[in-house]
Amino acid sequence: MNMVEAVPLPWVLVVAAGLFCIGLFGSLSRRNTVGILLGVELMLNAVNLNLIAFWRYLEPNLVAGQVFALFIITVAAAEAAVGLAMIIAIYRSRLTVNADEVDTLKG
Amino acid sequence: MNILILVIFFGLSAFTLAAGVMVVTVKNIIHAALWLIASFFSVAALYLLMEAEFIAIVQVLVYVGAISILVLFAIMLTRHVTGEGVRQLYQRWWVALIVAAALFGVLIVPTVFNFQWSVPTAPDQSAGLSSAVQIGTAFMREYLLPFEIASVLLLVALIGAIVIAFEERASRRRVLTLAEEVELRRQRGESLRLAATPTAPEAQNTGSAPSQP
Amino acid sequence: MIDILLSLLGGVLPSWLIYVISFLVNTTIILIVTPVTFMMMTWFERRMVARMQDRLGPNRVGPAGLLQAVADGVKMFTKENITPRAADKWVHLIAPVVATAPVMFLFAVIPWGRGLEPSNVNVSVLFVVAISSISAVGLMMGGWGSNNKFALLGAMRAVAQMVSYEIPAVIALLGMVLFTGTMNLNNYSALQGGIPLLGSTLQELGVPDLGLGWFVFTPIGLLGFGIFFTCVLSEGERTPFDIPEADSEIVAGYMTEYSGMKFAVFYMGQFLFNYALSMVASIVFLGGWNGPGVGLLADAGLPFLAGLLSVVYLFVKTWFLFFVMIWLRGAFPRLRMDQLMSFAWKFLLPLALINILSAALWLTLMLWCTGPSCDQSLWVVHIAGVNPLDWMGSAAWVRQLVGLVVSGVINVGAFFWLLSINRRPGGETPAELAQDQVFGVASLP
Repeated sequence: MNMVEAVPLPWVLVVAAGLFCIGLFGSLSRRNTVGILLGVELMLNAVNLNLIAFWRYLEPNLVAGQVFALFIITVAAAEAAVGLAMIIAIYRSRLTVNADEVDTLKG
Repeated sequence: MNILILVIFFGLSAFTLAAGVMVVTVKNIIHAALWLIASFFSVAALYLLMEAEFIAIVQVLVYVGAISILVLFAIMLTRHVTGEGVRQLYQRWWVALIVAAALFGVLIVPTVFNFQWSVPTAPDQSAGLSSAVQIGTAFMREYLLPFEIASVLLLVALIGAIVIAFEERASRRRVLTLAEEVELRRQRGESLRLAATPTAPEAQNTGSAPSQP
Repeated sequence: MIDILLSLLGGVLPSWLIYVISFLVNTTIILIVTPVTFMMMTWFERRMVARMQDRLGPNRVGPAGLLQAVADGVKMFTKENITPRAADKWVHLIAPVVATAPVMFLFAVIPWGRGLEPSNVNVSVLFVVAISSISAVGLMMGGWGSNNKFALLGAMRAVAQMVSYEIPAVIALLGMVLFTGTMNLNNYSALQGGIPLLGSTLQELGVPDLGLGWFVFTPIGLLGFGIFFTCVLSEGERTPFDIPEADSEIVAGYMTEYSGMKFAVFYMGQFLFNYALSMVASIVFLGGWNGPGVGLLADAGLPFLAGLLSVVYLFVKTWFLFFVMIWLRGAFPRLRMDQLMSFAWKFLLPLALINILSAALWLTLMLWCTGPSCDQSLWVVHIAGVNPLDWMGSAAWVRQLVGLVVSGVINVGAFFWLLSINRRPGGETPAELAQDQVFGVASLP
């Protein structure tokens, strides 16, 4: 009467892999830096889904899986805060948030 | 019961992936952020299905309650250039599509060939899942150093974000009062029709607005 | 609920169907009770404010105007449903639902009385915090989707305020989590039995369970309650924190473009949010369903009467807190945005952190091992081979008293210290006041 019996592990992993690839596509193809950040968040979520699935199916008695997921959530929060602050700073100085228009460093 | 769980799992997975696709393809960036929230939610529901209730609630708390709000704020503070009508994808977006699809193809190989995960011992499902109490204990014992490092990371991110996004009060673009607007127009000899007030950020940024007295 | 159904239908239906039925029954009860509560709240608020302002308030429909809410509902239903042409149709339409649905979720984990628990979530305090932060997304959607400057301004104010005040609220709750050692709201009321200040630590000495060991009587709980209730006022957008919908400045904030049922749904979400958070505050700090008589009746073998009395206690406490909200609305003007922000970040947040510190000290004093058998204990530190707290002995009430004194001194000191350093808040000097005269999107956080 739980998920372990009903759904095989590989199916969860396929969902996580799909989510990761969607996020990868988003962060590679978006021009808007906020859009890139959204793709990165999707990828981090996919990783967390994987970690929780492995924890639940393989080592449900250990806390390591959940602890790792919590650390990833922490890092994601820090990353989002700094990333969005940078986007706002870039917008202030250049009035754009598109990644291909912020090319001052290009030789 | 298993059928019920299977149906819920497929529904949630389909919704997660569909919302993810909407995040990366939809034109309007605010809609993308809202779809991202939907995706976060269904991932949290998947965690609940896997009986990780603490992680599910933390997911909602951090991702939906904090990160999404932050993203929405950032979009709205930069909203003059994020509306529809602007090209959202790079011209060579299909390269990204090929890369992502190829990666998915590689990742799915073990499943297609029915790879058996090498589990050292059969997990004992009856012994009870690790709970929030055990997670807290683990943070204070085995994972104390990573825990402290994570807190330092958060502090650094907090200070860094403030430093990067901080704007001096004096350099802040100010919204004019109606009286100032009328006075400015009179000085410039323009018509006094307020309906034609320029609202684009460039108009205020080029120095046409009087700076702070 | 599940237990009753299991005993009634156990042989007839499969267990999973019983679970589904019990959840459906719980949901139905919540979805019926909460809108009625909302209607009573609007009536109560209007009558009370009217009384404070020396007028009558709604008194035409039904006895004492009790059916006014029904009349309002009919009016809302028949009103034209306006969507601005330039609005983002779907976002505009969904926003009230996104703002209100989480509030309904809240009621899933809040117990209504002794043994009346809709569900048993182990981390329900965290659940309340997490779910209530979703409402902000709904407000943001409403403000942005309406394509109206007032709406956007109101939404940004509302969300900035909600996010800022959430932090002290969470930390105040965390102090109580330390205090009780549980994150399950269902457990809180039972822990607040006994007598004021000492709780049930005197039970061995024959002191009866008066049901008055409410946490609000302890220094940590008192400070936590003050912080939490202030944050509830702010998150529920009550006066003096009703800046997001300040009618006289920005029409009605994010609700400007909403009419008919969409407006009613927003409004219901807000009122029920106030109600749910009042309920959480009374459960966590004011003893919940515990009060004089509940424990005695339960011990006397009358669980039904005890349950009934407990429901009445929780109901009265919740409505009292709601009355305090109305009272404040009748008594106070509105704060300014910068005052609001500096109050949250410079006063409430440090105070909540100090409260957590004193809760931790209290916990240490309670757990500190005394006596000869402490050499192997985790909860003891020897200084020069001597246990410095050995004089406390092993009686729980002595430790409780010592802990209360220590935490009380810290909390009172912190309160007055923060008051003194916040006496002249930033933005109050004449030069800065002149800068702040004009408020716009650019000067919002």
